[in-house]
Amino acid sequence: MSQTITAAHSAAIDALHAAYLAALDKGDMVAWAATFSLAPEASYFCISTENDRRGLPLALMYDDCRGRIDDRVSFVTKVWVGTYQPYRTRHFIQRLSCESAGNNRYRVTSGFTIMMSAEGGTTAVLTSGEYRDLIEIQGDHAVFCERRAVYDADVLPRYIVFPF
Amino acid sequence: MNAPMTPFAKPWVANPDGYRVPYEVFTDQAYYDQEQEHIFRGETWSFVGLDAELPNKGDFKSTAIGDTPVIVTRDQTGQLHVFKNLCMHRGALLVRESRGNVKSFDCVYHQWSFDLTGALRGVPMRRGVRGEGGMSPAFDMANFGLDALRVEVMNGLIFASFSKSVEPLADYLGEGIVANIQRIFNRPIRIMGDYRQYIHGNWKLYAENTRDPYHGSLLHLFHSTFGLYRATQKGFTYMDPSNRHCLLKATASAAPTSASEDQEVYKDVRSYNTEFHLQDASVLAGRPEFEDRASLVINAIFPNLLIQQIANCLAVRQSITHAPNAFEIVWTLFGYADDDEEMQMIRMKQSNLVGPAGLISMEDGEAIEIVQDAVIRDGKKTSVLAMGGVHAGSVDHMITEGPIIGFWENYARYLKLGDELKK
Repeated sequence: MSQTITAAHSAAIDALHAAYLAALDKGDMVAWAATFSLAPEASYFCISTENDRRGLPLALMYDDCRGRIDDRVSFVTKVWVGTYQPYRTRHFIQRLSCESAGNNRYRVTSGFTIMMSAEGGTTAVLTSGEYRDLIEIQGDHAVFCERRAVYDADVLPRYIVFPF
Repeated sequence: MNAPMTPFAKPWVANPDGYRVPYEVFTDQAYYDQEQEHIFRGETWSFVGLDAELPNKGDFKSTAIGDTPVIVTRDQTGQLHVFKNLCMHRGALLVRESRGNVKSFDCVYHQWSFDLTGALRGVPMRRGVRGEGGMSPAFDMANFGLDALRVEVMNGLIFASFSKSVEPLADYLGEGIVANIQRIFNRPIRIMGDYRQYIHGNWKLYAENTRDPYHGSLLHLFHSTFGLYRATQKGFTYMDPSNRHCLLKATASAAPTSASEDQEVYKDVRSYNTEFHLQDASVLAGRPEFEDRASLVINAIFPNLLIQQIANCLAVRQSITHAPNAFEIVWTLFGYADDDEEMQMIRMKQSNLVGPAGLISMEDGEAIEIVQDAVIRDGKKTSVLAMGGVHAGSVDHMITEGPIIGFWENYARYLKLGDELKK
């Protein structure tokens, strides 16, 4: 861990992670989008370790601007309604590193695990992976400028509706 | 051989009210085993990869035809080979990595070594140790090369066959399908990456799904909502003379649809919404790049390949079977080597359309699984394929299930179910 982070900034980053996990575990896509910066260049990428290692750009979800993050909310809550089997998730994370990027920004990495419970089914591991984030402290809270979720599964165990 | 193939006679006959397929084809292990022998290891050509995945001498990838593991490799002269991924000594997997670059394939078990042409080059302790043991004098290394498949490459698409007698690839595909391959693979490609997705259903449900223009604008509401494909657009359904393969093509701009006709056709659709607008329309902002201005081309090639062009989103999808109720889709998205930066970005943005979380493909996984779950104990019940007139063949519209009937007619032929029908 960088020596430069203050307790207040560290707490804000922890609160941001908690807000993100809580949003997805409730299936609340609006709250998910609210963890991202309102700046037009805010981005969310979900990419396989396989493509990441091969240096290939293809992402499972490629939301390279704020508008596309907001559109993902609409796809899940409007366009896809009724087409997928409901499933609930539990996300668990462990912060691995945090380094200052200047201007109240931090490069943060965390390991994640996502458990999935399909309606009427058992609970299983959906995938694990690593979040690679650029986080900005804005006043007393933090937002994601960029979140890159690099998932471990070479073969995803099912189709995917919600972001990782 | 197990003998489950008796109950067919009635269900497989095309009645005037529909072609009927018994659901046991999706659940019964005996059908699955017959498919491996007569389709995937039979008189067919299976897609195994793109030559752009193996640019260098010594590159290899491991994949599967049906559920048989195979290695695709480029030897030191640049020639492509496909082998069973099976050591000729005691049957171990020779290659466990997905991809790599090697000088030889060395089995980890007893270190038998094969060169990139498949020839056996090394057997440790072949002449024994201190004069004791060793291989029999009758053992000839020349007889223990890797099991090689026939290989043909068409415009960078690598196909392989276990059959020595299957017709040449171009004849197997037919002129119309070859023309589409030449249309899409018209110059060197640049690979963008892979998606891999496990589906808890039978592989043939995906073969049906990809030959089914009827579901396109009904299951995938993104399509109809944003106009990439609506049933009111001009489209056609092409089948090759054997009816094994299918090419669905829709043209967004050929015949502008009227809002009132769309409203009538889709009046009962659950959430068709012409008022919905994107915050960022870049997912739909493409560049015309084919002379026919097709917005959607879905080309299913028997038995394991689909080639897609959806706007500027280009991909091949390979099916790998695991069990009667499980298969995998490997999607490889690509652009062209000469794409400018803007075009590369267009393709990246449109990649959200497809894959396991794709805006117009996520639901296919669900559609397959809900059929598999429902029919589990109703193997003698049948589906009904009647849309478009209960026959396979090319038509100048897309309101048809004819291509699915073509698939099943060929399936019955490969599994020799026709012999059962005649009894």
